[in-house]
Amino acid sequence: MPPAITAEQLSKTFRVKVRDPGLRGALEALLRPRYRDVHAVREVTFRIDPGEIVAFLGPNGAGKTTTLKMLAGLLYPTSGRVEVAGFVPWGGGPEFKRRIALVLGNRQQLVWDLPPEETFLLNRAIYEIAPAAYRERLAELVTLLELGDVLDKPVRQLSLGERMKCELAAALLHHPPILFLDEPTLGLDVTAQEAIRRFLTEYRDRHGATVLLTSHYMQDVTALARRVLIINRGRLLYDGALDALVARIARTKRLELVLGGDDGVTAEALAAFGEVKSFRFPNAVLEVPREEAAATSARLLAALPVADLSIEDPPIEDVIRQAFTRGVQEDDS
Amino acid sequence: MMFRVPRSAFRVLAALWRLNLAEELQYRANFVASVLGTVFWIGTALLTLALFFRHTTRLGGWDYWEVVVLLGVFNALTGVIEAVLRPGIGRLASEVRNGGLDLVLAKPVDAQGFVSFRRLDVWHLTDVVLGLGLAGYALSRLGRVPGVLQLAAFVVALAAAGIVVYAIWVALMSLAFWFVSVENLSVLFDAVYEGARYPVTAYPGALRFVFVYLLPIAWTTTIPTSALTGRLGPEIAVAAAAVAALAFVLARLLWRAALRRYTGASG
Repeated sequence: MPPAITAEQLSKTFRVKVRDPGLRGALEALLRPRYRDVHAVREVTFRIDPGEIVAFLGPNGAGKTTTLKMLAGLLYPTSGRVEVAGFVPWGGGPEFKRRIALVLGNRQQLVWDLPPEETFLLNRAIYEIAPAAYRERLAELVTLLELGDVLDKPVRQLSLGERMKCELAAALLHHPPILFLDEPTLGLDVTAQEAIRRFLTEYRDRHGATVLLTSHYMQDVTALARRVLIINRGRLLYDGALDALVARIARTKRLELVLGGDDGVTAEALAAFGEVKSFRFPNAVLEVPREEAAATSARLLAALPVADLSIEDPPIEDVIRQAFTRGVQEDDS
Repeated sequence: MMFRVPRSAFRVLAALWRLNLAEELQYRANFVASVLGTVFWIGTALLTLALFFRHTTRLGGWDYWEVVVLLGVFNALTGVIEAVLRPGIGRLASEVRNGGLDLVLAKPVDAQGFVSFRRLDVWHLTDVVLGLGLAGYALSRLGRVPGVLQLAAFVVALAAAGIVVYAIWVALMSLAFWFVSVENLSVLFDAVYEGARYPVTAYPGALRFVFVYLLPIAWTTTIPTSALTGRLGPEIAVAAAAVAALAFVLARLLWRAALRRYTGASG
């Protein structure tokens, strides 16, 4: 099967006006504009297979949204090659656009003063969905997203979570095989985030859709995507499985202890075994170098009254932060 | 290929306008406000005109009731602008800035058509009715009954006027892609369009040249009115149609260039 999304040496350079602060800077910029090249995306290469859910990670301004826009055909790349669903996005025209959905967490297409179903009907006309197919798909989306009692309320009366669910429904009525989701859970509470994640997985399983999403919420990533693309300052730092990334980057393991006996154990005693991340009797968390985790555990069990001990990877947020600051070296473990 | 309008476009338009109607019906007060606004506007315009004509019998060679016919045509076109253009393509500048345009560009529609005709604020169509009513009344006061050919020429010239006004909006709004920080491009339109309230013959030669050949607002009110009152022969409709076609093509080309710039295709 050909890949759903191919990006080869994809680059985007913006030319931006620079100006010094203050009135003088403003005047200078007006009379003698100076420009600077901003390399938003640099030589990014990856392929995504049909049915994959891939998370795009990176700090703000890393180039995630720019890449997403190039894949969706909203921006021309400065150089490189892109193919999405067999099309070159910016030349694909309506035929290409029928095959994608673009959801931007901070923009909305729902008409504010009307019930969401009115926007759905508009999209039915735009995507030329036959009435029977429309009814069937709407029914499915309403069930999966639990939209039953929301459809006839004006959008302005909906909660943020309900609104995002309706945005997703509006974006998926034409059953696109490729979904680009930019921060789909932005600003949502935990329950709503979970509902959206459940829905995306279920939708992928049912329809084999390919999903590329960006998110700041690590739970989104761990729950949805087995594969992540990490991008920073326009460069792709890592492409692969999430757990492999952890194994590669995390130089440490966490030993989570539940101590038994009386509160005779002190923080100093624990510090002899590793870095104490937290200690509040009877719970303690130690961080130790990865390769010493097993040996240190054995010594701990022998030396201290330990009721329970588990070896964990450090939190995924920490790992990702390390990837951004230190980069991902090829051989790091 | 450039002007091929797919049949689905009409279904999309119907869906869009149905949506607007549903939205507008929630605010029936808008109707009253719109009618009152128009009545006051026409009243003031007539009063100004009457004051002016106390000192003269001619304005650019036109007498009072002829200028009132023009005022009616002006008001009818204003209705189209307020009902369709300002709430539709008039919002483009802010959408370019806040990225709202991205959602339109991701859809399988012609972006220019979608952005231009996505709204229909029906209440403002009362301006069209009132304007044409005023033109009809003034025409009867002139004592001229237009023949079939004259009437047909007027209809063509008026349609051409609508297209010219549309082209001016598209051209102005396309500038938003270059000058993202321009807050309110529609004010620029208002300033230029103000000139269409009087027959172009009332302006000095240089300005008249501009209004006929560069900023073609002469074709929006003066020409249709002249076709209706018989000041110009019905063959002017052919010229009006040609001007409209040219304006439309130029506006479309400008829009395309603007969009290429937005997506970074122009390098």
